[in-house]
This record gives sequence, structure tokens and C-alpha cells, in this order.
Amino acid sequence: MNTPYQLIRDMPYRYNADIGLAYSSPCRGVWNIVHYGTLVPQGHQIFVCPTSCLRGVVLTTAEMGREAMKKLSTITVGEDNILNGDMEEQLLHGTEKIINTLHERPRMVMIFTSCIHHFMAVNYQRVYRILRKEYPDIDFIDCYMDPIMRRTAPPDPSLRRQVLRVLKPAEHDSHRVSFVGNCYPMTEYCDLYVHLKRNGIEVSDLTTMKKYDEFKLMEQSCLNFTFNNAAAMAGRDLSIRLKQPEMKMRPTYFYDDIDADMQNASETLQIPDVSDEEKARLRKETEEAALRLREKLNGVPVSVDYTAVVRPLEFAVYLLEHGFNVESVLIDVITESEEVFRKLVEIKPDLKVYSSLGWNMRTADRTHEGKILAVGQKSAYFNNTNYFVNVVENAGMYGYRGILHLLGLMEEAFDSEKNMPVLIQEKGWGCRV
Amino acid sequence: MGVQSMRDWHTHVYTSTYTADVSGVCSAMYELGGMTVLHDPSGCNSTYTTHDEPRWYDSKSLMFVSGLDELTAVYGDDSVLINDVKKAAEDLKPRFITLCGASIPHIIAFDYRGTARLIEKETGIPVLPVATDGLKSYVSGVDLALREWIRRFADETEEPVKNCINLLGVTPIDFSGPANVKAMKKTFEDLGFTVNGCFAMEDSFENLTHAYRASVNVAVSSAGLKTARYMKARKNIPYVVGLPVGKYMAGRMADAILQAQEDGRNRTAFDERTEGDILVIGEEVYAKSMAEAVSRTGFAAGRGLAAAALWPDTDEGLDEDDLYDRVNRSQIVICDPLFFNVFADEKTKMIELPHEGYSGRIFRDRIPVFASGEFDAEAFIERGK
Repeated sequence: MNTPYQLIRDMPYRYNADIGLAYSSPCRGVWNIVHYGTLVPQGHQIFVCPTSCLRGVVLTTAEMGREAMKKLSTITVGEDNILNGDMEEQLLHGTEKIINTLHERPRMVMIFTSCIHHFMAVNYQRVYRILRKEYPDIDFIDCYMDPIMRRTAPPDPSLRRQVLRVLKPAEHDSHRVSFVGNCYPMTEYCDLYVHLKRNGIEVSDLTTMKKYDEFKLMEQSCLNFTFNNAAAMAGRDLSIRLKQPEMKMRPTYFYDDIDADMQNASETLQIPDVSDEEKARLRKETEEAALRLREKLNGVPVSVDYTAVVRPLEFAVYLLEHGFNVESVLIDVITESEEVFRKLVEIKPDLKVYSSLGWNMRTADRTHEGKILAVGQKSAYFNNTNYFVNVVENAGMYGYRGILHLLGLMEEAFDSEKNMPVLIQEKGWGCRV
Repeated sequence: MGVQSMRDWHTHVYTSTYTADVSGVCSAMYELGGMTVLHDPSGCNSTYTTHDEPRWYDSKSLMFVSGLDELTAVYGDDSVLINDVKKAAEDLKPRFITLCGASIPHIIAFDYRGTARLIEKETGIPVLPVATDGLKSYVSGVDLALREWIRRFADETEEPVKNCINLLGVTPIDFSGPANVKAMKKTFEDLGFTVNGCFAMEDSFENLTHAYRASVNVAVSSAGLKTARYMKARKNIPYVVGLPVGKYMAGRMADAILQAQEDGRNRTAFDERTEGDILVIGEEVYAKSMAEAVSRTGFAAGRGLAAAALWPDTDEGLDEDDLYDRVNRSQIVICDPLFFNVFADEKTKMIELPHEGYSGRIFRDRIPVFASGEFDAEAFIERGK
């Protein structure tokens, strides 16, 4: 039987686990497109797909509760649509029926077409043009649940871009910026947020919005910040369409990189940089926290996965350089630079690298001898441990404050067991309507 | 184009959807030691394992998605799938492989039978082609998979044994955990029958190969009907359609089975009612059996009430407008709690009976043991007072 992991020294830098038969583990914390769509205040999602595709999005929504169900409708693609070639008519008629039946008029309607629409060459833009004329008070957005296109335009980053397509060019406000493409609010555990607020800069962030008009204020932002790769398409699109520059804040664990990005942000916004005293204080606090945690763990192994932190290899480097015993990482693709990868090969050549997607993970031995601390649901599941940090996609953490908070979560997880089988099977960690 | 008054089963403003044929295939084959491969880009597999499969966390049954991508589909390059399945099969050594798929293989006319034959030739492992399309409900998928399994593995040389029955169409999608299946088996055994095979929960590959020992097949859900018809055609085994929901229905089932065994004719164990003040929504055989059981209670008889069934069409599901009308014309509706938003007001009383095929895992803990002669239909319907 194949070993379900590789040692990092045996791996190529270019690595993608999305090849061959794929396994779906019971870990469900990562958001899917439905979760992200629910962030839009006063928005309504319409999924237009065959039954097999609808099932997942409808029940994802149902699991969020009755209020969530009011924000989603469906149009089932049937054999009759394929044979009659009436996908456009069905889409139009169904959308009209939904809008005319809803108790509350949505401000935005996100219409998700699916793989089958691409293959049937459906002219959905024609339908949207008609709908926009019929309902001028509603913003219609073309969205895509088309995993068959995932190699070139994955649905999740595509949606993070599409929901912003309603924003129009507007006069920029030098005291307003946007955080783009996040799932979680970036506030107290985000250095940038703290720094911007201190300097009188307003932050528009979809994750915290309650009203559609707040959302539209994003048009006025003079700068957009992105914090992860899934937001890249959105950031680029806004920079082209609205002439809003994009600044990529690297979700890094390297102190110099944090300082450099913060300085860059400050200069661009023409506000003072974080003071040297504050940087030194934060750096010292972070170092002390890492040291304390290392001593507490006392050699207990750590496993990190990509669902919890968007740069798992980089975080592994950080932990190893601080004396932690990082035993394994779970990744399906390498998102870090080759430099980080090579560094990891050098300092921990026997690091075990698991793919969570691989078919051989279904039969992998999930027992672990002795205690292990997992950072992320997949690490917890595959190591069968109740000692784990239950967060997804950096969970609003950035910079020194982010690292400090993450180290705190690791300490908390090390001290107290969680109900891993129950927690990891909950869909869309932290997503509420 | 504008708002039309045409009937539109496609659009669901508020309601959920029944699970699809692909989940049905995976669910039916789950306990038989095979490896199910779902030919699809992605998504159907996690939907199944999250919402439709209560056994996923605690077992290691093999079910994977092929990860079909745009180029492979456009080129029609089946060798990608063949090689991927071969690689996994050589390592995991499943007893057999089931190949099913969703809408994209369907519209590009993927050749299930031919591909299955090629994989089988190269691996030496039996491969069952189950040509699902992701457009139909689980009822179709369960049934196609069970029929294909029996076609391939059941020993046709065996002869029927008196009072020996098969239960067809048994998956967690309709029956949830093992409690209902165990209770259902016990009910038939208490009625004097031997349960020869339960397709396909709480049974084994070896035992199920003796399927043709049954003198009568019992389609306890509509997901067993195609298989029942197939076995009738192959070996003239008659079938009975129905579910022992409570004592009365258990008696009706016993009578029907004995009569079918005697005269070789197929039967249903319930009366067909199209209208009633009590409405049972769910899978067809369950809903009709429950409606029959409820109609025979003192509660219903004393009030002059009758119960009727409403079930999702395999191709079209439930028409939401029709559903709304039927629900709000009724006094009592027995249904999954996720139908909550169809109820216009409190005049119509809902009695909850969750169904995994509709609401998945959400209300799993609240599913009672209903597939049993010991189910108390009287007490159950009295909740509608």
C-alpha cells in the first residue's frame, strides 16, 4: 500500500494534489461559495444547477438556519432543459418567479450557473440584460458554481471577485480603504486594522457589513488590501475597473516582511508608519509568547494544515525556527515561495507532507502515538487528536497581533481537549446569517 | 419573455431539494466492500459524504470523485479516468468497483459500460457501470446500482425458498441509521418470514449473492422497484410494495407477501389515496404506507379523516406550487421539518418526521423508528390534535 505522506526532501516544489481520484474527508470548516455569498447584506442567491449540485448548496444553507434559507432559492436544471434547449428561458422565468415571490426585495441577486451551462453554451448574459431592465432596483451578478473550470477559474476566488462587480467607478476618499476577499473580520488581531483606525482611516470590509449601502461605499476606497490568494482575482479586478490600487498584505510569519508591508501601506496612504518602539514591543511580545509555548509543549509534536493558515509551510518554518517539533503538514498545493520551501527542506528534511485530497488518505492510519497538537481541522482529523486549533483561513489574524493570537490559540488547544469529531464536521466555521 | 403562468417544477423559492441519483448509488453500495467512483468535477462527493452518509466518519468504505476537468471533458479523454481508477484500485484492492457520474459525463455521452469493461479488463476487478446523470433523485441511483449489483453477483442458479424474502431499496437516505433496519427485519421475522437479504444495509456481500433464494421481494422503498421488476423478469420472483409502518401495515404486508408467494403476482400493501385531510410527504412507498397506517387509526376514523401521500417525482422532485397548495389544504401534514416555510399559517399542523433524503443530517437525531410493526401510528398522529 502507498504511504499516505511524502517527506518534504523527496518532493518537488511544484506540487498539486488535485490529480487522480479525490477523497473528501469529513472536515467541513472551510467555507464554500454559499457561505461567502451570505456575507452580502440584503443579497439573495439563486443556484441554477442539476439536482446533484443543488443538494450541497441548499443543505449548506439549511444548516445555517431558517433565516439563511430565506436568502437562497434554486432553479433545477432538468433533462427537459437539455433536450428543449430552453436554459435561458428557464433561467429568466425562474428568476422572475423568485423575485416576485420573495417577501423582501433583495438589493443584489447573485445567480450561480454551473458546469452544464458552459457545456451547453448558455447565453446567460442575455438573460441578465433583460433582468436588469425589468428590475432596475436590483443588482444582478453572474456567479459561477462550475468546478469543472477550477484549473483556470476556481469558483471561490471567482465569487470573491464577482460580488464586487456591482461597484462602479467613483471619486476616491483618501480616508477610506477596503479589505477585500476575506471570510472573517480583520479587527483586533490584525496589525493593519489597528494601525489604520488609529490614523483615522475607515475600513470597508464585507465581513462586517449589515446594509447594502455600506457595501456600495467600497466604491469610494482609495486602496484595497488583500490578505490571501483567494482574494487575488477580486483585488486585480478592482484595480483595473475602479482604478483602486491593490496592496497585497502577505499573510506572513516573518517579522521583516510584516514590517515591510506595514511600511508600504503607511507610505501609500501617507500616514505615519508604525513606530519603531511599537514594532520592537510587538516583536518582543511575540518572541516571548513563542518561547513560552515552546517550553510548554516541551517537544510535543505539532501538525499544521492549510485550512487553518493560508501559509502552512511558512508557519512550519516559523515554528521550527523557534524550536517547535513540527512533525507534519497537510497541503494540497504549495502556495509559498520556492525560497520558503527550500528552507523547510533544509531545516526539517523529514517533515511529513500529507495531501488531504489523495485517495490513499481514506485508508490512512489516523492513530498517533502520544499527544500531538494540531493547527487546523484536517491536521486534527488525520492525527485523530482532540487537541487542536479550530480556525479557518487565518480567521482574521494578521501581523504580530495575528501571530500572538494564534500562539494563544495553540496554548489553549494544548491545555484543553475539544470534541473533534463534532466540531470538524460543522460546515463553514464561523459563518452565521 | 415575462412572468409566465406555466407550470414550473424547476423553481424552488423556499424549499430544499431531494438528494440526487449519485448519492443513491454511493449509499446503496457502501457496505458491500467495493469502491465507488463518481465521475464528476467535484462537489457531489462532499455533498454525499456530508449530508447523505451517516456512516462516513466511522468507517473506511471507499468512495471517490474522479475530478473531471474541462479539458478532459472536451477531449473526451477517458484514459485519464481509467488510469486513475486503475492506480487506486491496484493499491486499495476493492472487491468490485462501481462507476457512476453526474451531469457532465451525461451530456458528453460518456460510455459507462465501455469504460467499465476496459477498467475491468486491465485490473481484473469487476466493474459495475451505473449510468446516472445527476439530474434524477436518489431513488433512481439506488435502484440502478442494486439492479446492476444483482445482475452481476447474484447466483441465478439458486431456487426460491418458501417464506424467504428480500428487502429491496434499503439505504440510510430513507432509513437513516441501523435502528430502523433492525426493527424492520425483526418485524418480518416476527411475522414468520426469513429475511434472506437486505439490499443493502446491515448485510454482507456473500449473503446477498443468494438473492434468488427469496420467494418474494419486498420493495420497502421506491428505490427497490426496478430491482424487483428485474428479478421478476429474470426468475419470476413476485414482489410486494410497502413498508410495515405499525401493526396494521405489518399485517397488510404479511398478507400481501403470502398471497404473492402463492399466486406469483405482484402486489401493493396499501390503498392508493389521492386526496385526504392528512398529508404525508416523503418517499413514495413510505408516504403511502404511512398514509395507510394513519388512515386506519382511531384518531382518523373518529374524525372522518383520511390520509394521502405526496412524494417527489424521480425526475422533477416536488413542484413547489403544488406542494404549497396541498400542504395548506390539509389539516395535518406529516413531513420533514425542513418544509417549515411551506406552511402559510398555523391552521395546518405539522407532525415532524425527518427524512435524510430531504434534510440530510440536520434532524438525524430526531428520526424515530418508523419501519416497524411496533411503531405506534395512533400515538404518532395524535400529535396533530
